[in-house]
Amino acid sequence: MRAGIPIDAHGACDDWRLAHAAPARALSRRSLLLGGTGLVVGALGLPGVSPQRILEAARADAAARPDGRILVSLYLDGGNDGLNTLVPLTDGRYRELRPRLAVRPQDTLPLHDTREFGWHPALAGLRELYDAGQVAVLPSVDYADPDLSHFNSAAFWRTGIAGPTLDRSGWLGRTLDAVGSMDNPLQGISATWGLDPVLISRRAPVATVIDPSDFGFWIPGVWDDDTPLRPIREIAAKRARHPALQAAREAYAGAVEVKGRLAPLAKEKEPAKPPRAYPDTHLGKSMRSLARMLGAGFGTRIAAVTSGGGFDTHENQLTDHPKLLRDVGDSLAAWQADLVARGLAGRVITLVWSEFGRRPQDNDSNGTDHGAGGLVLVVGERAQGGIQSEFPGLARLDPFDNLRVTTEFRTVYASLLESWLGVEAERVLGRVRGARLALVRP
Amino acid sequence: MTRERARIERLLWRAGFGPRPGDVDRLAARGLEKAVDELLDPSGPQLSGSPPRIDGKPLDPRNVWADDILWWLDRTVRTRQPLAERMTLSWHDHFAVSNASVGDVRLMLRYYASLRRGSLGRFRDLARAMTLDGAMQVFLDLANSSDESPNENYARELLELFTLGVNNGYDERDVREAARALTGFTFDYDTKRFAYDRKRHDGGLKSVLGKRGRFEPLDIVDLAIARPEHARYLCQKLWGYLSPRTCPPRLLDRMVRAYRDSGTDVRPPLRLALTHPALYADLDEPHQVKPPVVYVAGMLRATGRGVERQEWRWVMGGMGQEPFYPPNVSGWEGDEAWLTTGTVRGRYVAAQVALGDEIREGSIAQTQTPAQALRSALEATGHPWCSPRTMSVLRGYARRSVAGRDEGWQVKHYWPERQRVLRHLLLAGPDAQVC
Repeated sequence: MRAGIPIDAHGACDDWRLAHAAPARALSRRSLLLGGTGLVVGALGLPGVSPQRILEAARADAAARPDGRILVSLYLDGGNDGLNTLVPLTDGRYRELRPRLAVRPQDTLPLHDTREFGWHPALAGLRELYDAGQVAVLPSVDYADPDLSHFNSAAFWRTGIAGPTLDRSGWLGRTLDAVGSMDNPLQGISATWGLDPVLISRRAPVATVIDPSDFGFWIPGVWDDDTPLRPIREIAAKRARHPALQAAREAYAGAVEVKGRLAPLAKEKEPAKPPRAYPDTHLGKSMRSLARMLGAGFGTRIAAVTSGGGFDTHENQLTDHPKLLRDVGDSLAAWQADLVARGLAGRVITLVWSEFGRRPQDNDSNGTDHGAGGLVLVVGERAQGGIQSEFPGLARLDPFDNLRVTTEFRTVYASLLESWLGVEAERVLGRVRGARLALVRP
Repeated sequence: MTRERARIERLLWRAGFGPRPGDVDRLAARGLEKAVDELLDPSGPQLSGSPPRIDGKPLDPRNVWADDILWWLDRTVRTRQPLAERMTLSWHDHFAVSNASVGDVRLMLRYYASLRRGSLGRFRDLARAMTLDGAMQVFLDLANSSDESPNENYARELLELFTLGVNNGYDERDVREAARALTGFTFDYDTKRFAYDRKRHDGGLKSVLGKRGRFEPLDIVDLAIARPEHARYLCQKLWGYLSPRTCPPRLLDRMVRAYRDSGTDVRPPLRLALTHPALYADLDEPHQVKPPVVYVAGMLRATGRGVERQEWRWVMGGMGQEPFYPPNVSGWEGDEAWLTTGTVRGRYVAAQVALGDEIREGSIAQTQTPAQALRSALEATGHPWCSPRTMSVLRGYARRSVAGRDEGWQVKHYWPERQRVLRHLLLAGPDAQVC
């Protein structure tokens, strides 16, 4: 949303990067992408127009079509304890390292396809989805030399850049920069109070809406909401010199636009009852709102929700963690059922992630400190169900006694961008080495 | 407006919560330097006026949902010591503790009192007070961290967020060693008693930040503050609260020196920053986004109102800032991140709560000209800044909104409606978001 780079310059920069980075490979992957978005491109030989431009236009067009694919980020705020989410039953060291917190094997929920792991007992909702083959599980995702600060680690995951950077944009915001439209803020919905940082874009407009039924601009004694919005639109259209005022004007312009587009939903008196009840939690409510907005067909491609927080379980984990996990599992189960009922299940994939996993050794406050190697889930009807990457085991830990990282988070992003959204990963993430993961069923 | 008045107005927004009617004139007569002195060395009562009542009842932060938020907000609205109060809010962002996880308003009010007491003093005293603070100890698990298995949470944030900056002069080993030194604090959840138990403290040798010794908890604060990286990190943070611009390097150097020479007193560097021309750049187009608490307090101060409506209990969340409830240990993101399609709508709603329904139908005569209407709205909202172009849009609206509406029932409604809209746009429009 926050501008700064003129469109043409940026596009040119992309062109340059693509042209200089293994063009043959890029091209072949691009045609595959077009297959993925269901487009037929027959105009590659148009004189005077670069194939890149045509492909861009085609992709933007596909993106604007209301039946496009959608990627949802679900962030577990604080660093989820992967080892007590998916319990490594056959790893002898688990119980040794967790004298206070180990989940007993007989309490875990079995997986239909392996005895190596069991789900935490609070995850009945998630287990149903897993058994239906709708959850791809990656047990130890992070980056080399993991940074144990919430701040840094979350920033790396959000920007998609594993290291210090001045770039504030999120990897999903940049995805919209690459393939989104310039006039539809609802292409990227942050169902949170503040804009989810994964959705910060450089120029594509995005929206923050926590409840589509409550987006009015009422003033007591003013008969028509639109009366004050007309001068606001005029004021907002004028470009400001400094980023602060420009951000205020853009946010207002976006809000007025969003209000117009949400009007049909705002008129619904009583939103339809979901087929399966969402938990009455922050996460449950925001996922329910989001499902309504996706169902309304606003051309949304990216969305973001956040857990209510609290995964930073330095203490009292035995009491707190089960509640958090139940919230996530039940919200996801209700969400998938809702998507099925709305005919969206084949179009939505949800990426569940956290900034890091937690220390295998539990601490004296019945909690766990910051660790490495977090658990990632890819959920959806089209997700490639099953354990999709290696669990490193607890016999050998990293130099700081944390889980070793078997999967780089950027390869997860790259895989989803390419196999699900049909976006050349390099345009969003720069060069990502490493084989892509099979996270989506063909 | 004279340049001095513009500078005073800037000062009152950045070092406080915006002017009350008359403030700018009074301080402009004395000059900027004196105004800064007054802010840095406040005396007399902390608050003006009487405590607000909602539906006839005083605020009850301990027992009524969200009244803790309103209690803090009220202090910012009624403060007579704006910089001390503003720094308290900044320290809340710096030493962020959230009642969402502490769950005890009594502890949070004590935490507020520590921040307020230390708001304009030596950072060392404040950092030590925070290390010993109950809410902080619960929030970052310092309470009950013991020698057997030290909890690293507080140690990490003390170095990363409170004193040095991320990976700035310390490493993972320092965090672990510091955590050992910080063991021994206890909290009994039943009796709500905090204590320090020497038997649970790790009395062994530790090496922290290049020094070796049998360090005790508060030694870690001193070791961190003694690092060369600390002064610059903290002065940069101070400047960041005052301005979104990069701090001019020579000013930063002077702030760092003044901060060190005074033994971590924050007043000398604040004085340098508040009297430096860089703070007063772009007076014709303000360039800082008002944080929601500043925005709301400013609106109430400018219009002479108090926190007297129960709607404030939920409105603050819609703008993304509830005092006592920062989103996480690194505080609020700030600057342009405050403004999203959702939060500007929250800000629009806030003006509706502030202004209420005060203009009666039929209360404005048909003889009021568009220029008079705009003047009246500016007067009622404390003459907030807006750009010349915005002013011309408002003039256009003031003309068009009543044109051709001559019938009796139309005059009765649309003349007051014009005034309602103008006041709302002045107080909540895009231009009202910056200072």
